[in-house]
Amino acid sequence: MKQLLLVGSPNSGKSMLFNRLTGMNQRVANFPGITVDTSTGPAVGRSDLLVVDFPGAYSLTPLSGEEQVAVDAFYKLLDVPVGHIEAVVCVVDATRMEKGLVFALQVREACRRAGHPVMIVTNMHDVLERHNQSVDAEGLSQRLDMPVIPISAKSGVGVDQIITRSGQGIEVPKSELKEDLIAFDASVFRNLAESLANEFGPKGDYLLLVHNRADQFFLSTLTGGLSFLLIMFLLFQAIFSWAAPLMDGVESLIGLTADSVLPLIPSGMLHDFVKDALFGGLGAFLVFVPQIFILTLIVGFMEDSGYLARAAVICHRPLRAFGLTGKSFVPMLSGVACAIPGIYAARTIESPRRRWLTYFAIPLMPCSARLPVYGLLIVAFIPNESLLGGAVGLQGLAMLAIYLFGIVMALLIVSLLSRVKAGKGSDLPFVLEMPPYRLPGAKTLGQLAWSRSGDFVKRAGPVIFWVSVVVWVLGYFPNQGANLGESWLGAIGKFIAPIFEPIGLDWKYGVAIIASFLAREVFVGTLGTLYGIEGAEEEFTSLAQQIQDSGISLASGVALFVFFAIAAQCVSTLATLRRESGSWSLPAGLFVGYGVLAYSLAFVAFTLIVGD
Amino acid sequence: MSQIQCANLWQMKRGIQSVIEGFTPALDAAVKARLEELGFHQGARVLCTQAPRLGAPKLYKVGNAVYSLEKTIAECVIAHPVTSE
Repeated sequence: MKQLLLVGSPNSGKSMLFNRLTGMNQRVANFPGITVDTSTGPAVGRSDLLVVDFPGAYSLTPLSGEEQVAVDAFYKLLDVPVGHIEAVVCVVDATRMEKGLVFALQVREACRRAGHPVMIVTNMHDVLERHNQSVDAEGLSQRLDMPVIPISAKSGVGVDQIITRSGQGIEVPKSELKEDLIAFDASVFRNLAESLANEFGPKGDYLLLVHNRADQFFLSTLTGGLSFLLIMFLLFQAIFSWAAPLMDGVESLIGLTADSVLPLIPSGMLHDFVKDALFGGLGAFLVFVPQIFILTLIVGFMEDSGYLARAAVICHRPLRAFGLTGKSFVPMLSGVACAIPGIYAARTIESPRRRWLTYFAIPLMPCSARLPVYGLLIVAFIPNESLLGGAVGLQGLAMLAIYLFGIVMALLIVSLLSRVKAGKGSDLPFVLEMPPYRLPGAKTLGQLAWSRSGDFVKRAGPVIFWVSVVVWVLGYFPNQGANLGESWLGAIGKFIAPIFEPIGLDWKYGVAIIASFLAREVFVGTLGTLYGIEGAEEEFTSLAQQIQDSGISLASGVALFVFFAIAAQCVSTLATLRRESGSWSLPAGLFVGYGVLAYSLAFVAFTLIVGD
Repeated sequence: MSQIQCANLWQMKRGIQSVIEGFTPALDAAVKARLEELGFHQGARVLCTQAPRLGAPKLYKVGNAVYSLEKTIAECVIAHPVTSE
């Protein structure tokens, strides 16, 4: 099968072109990590032609280790016998010809040397036409001795020409552009790109005018700050509130399916397994999918509209003080709703080091799954009293304090880590291209959100399934689920009870903490089961009363607060981190590291309060 | 054209156009190469289009593209201002 290889600078519209050519809805990452994330698919109407979408790159001269991996992969793709690649298609943003041509000239030279045909596609002609501008494609083609096809990936105009032209057979460029190219001299490529853009590209500075007006608003101290807060408020609302009906819908659907399926299975182990491990464990994970969908939809809108780059500029300075980048803000904010969409949102951070630091911060953000745990502990330990003449409730103040505690801990830890890891490994400087403001296509955004949500289920689902099975088996045997306290899980809880004794907690809390590995909120239900209260998730008061009656102290309650604020015991988060980082080392390190830190600080808090 | 004393890009106020003179030795060679590929090369005209307050990265137009550069990078690009917008 012949290949059509798509390459180009970031924001050149390459992935949109890929989707046009294949009828798919993929987007390759610009953060290759250990492996290069490419998308492939057969061309529409040409089942014998495989289109390969390569991650965006500014240059074939890599700046960081990760870019090196991407460039090496590109050269490896070129290292196939002549004839296997029908054409290398270099996508250039026609509104910013000079920048795109630097890379295109490097690609042309690499292809010429490898003996593969190459063409340039100048994209975004719809934007040019709106400003009465054009590209002299014929002139550029003659100068470079290769086809140049003007297209609009957004409207589809000219896209069919790419397949038609490549199918007709393209000659490998014969001529060297300049002798100096042999050394891949950057200044030669740059000077040539500049002169070609001036001669054949659009004229005038219309781009600056359009940019400047919007940037004056979105980046000024007052309007920029206010609009940023408003947009982040809407994002947070969307993840936290607007996704709720969809999440309820998924939950109801799972409930309805369970109601239909479970009566068909005779009572016994299989029935219990399907009910608790499948519908209970895996179902709890699927409930989060609408949040992922909404988040990717909105982040995709911010990204494609050009706003995400501006938001990164606004946030960069304050977050830089903690070793993070401006692009860390959206993932961290998303993490307040749920760590999983937050980790997904961290994909937009190009710098590998800062992306890793952001991964460390996200699990410490006070996610919604912690809310039921905090709610229970507050009802159990904090008196329902008011301060300042009833203006401030003590329980609300406690909730605010524990939320702030998580955020402060996140910033402190990444700040420390950034200093410890400073100077190690390569890093990308904050040189960020400001993409033009554009109105994103609704269909593209919808397809992207759908695709990423599906990808999330496919990648993280199996891990969560197996962990659910393990926890279920431990809780079910050897007494067929008759008594959680007498199960293997209960035995483990009793075995590890000495660990929790120093902070005044008995084995029941050990079991509930282990069970909360499935999802933090499971802590409440498990504790309810152990205290013999059904539906504890909905009814905190009676469980809180039981906790009070058991004689557990305020010091132990605070220790639990601290433990849950820091410990990274959510399997969905760890599975997603494993999927995004490409290895188990980061999630395993976080699980152990935050577990030890959580316990240590819980012990310190307990000791301090008892000492008082 | 008014020739003013040499400074660095970070010192350029919004609306100031400048010509790049070179780079300080403190700039990493790979970062310098990337900046040059993006258009920040000796002799290039750069316009500071936005200079947000509170130390946020500034925006610079070079060629037909706009980039934001943080302080540590922009300070390493030596330039002299030539015109106002």
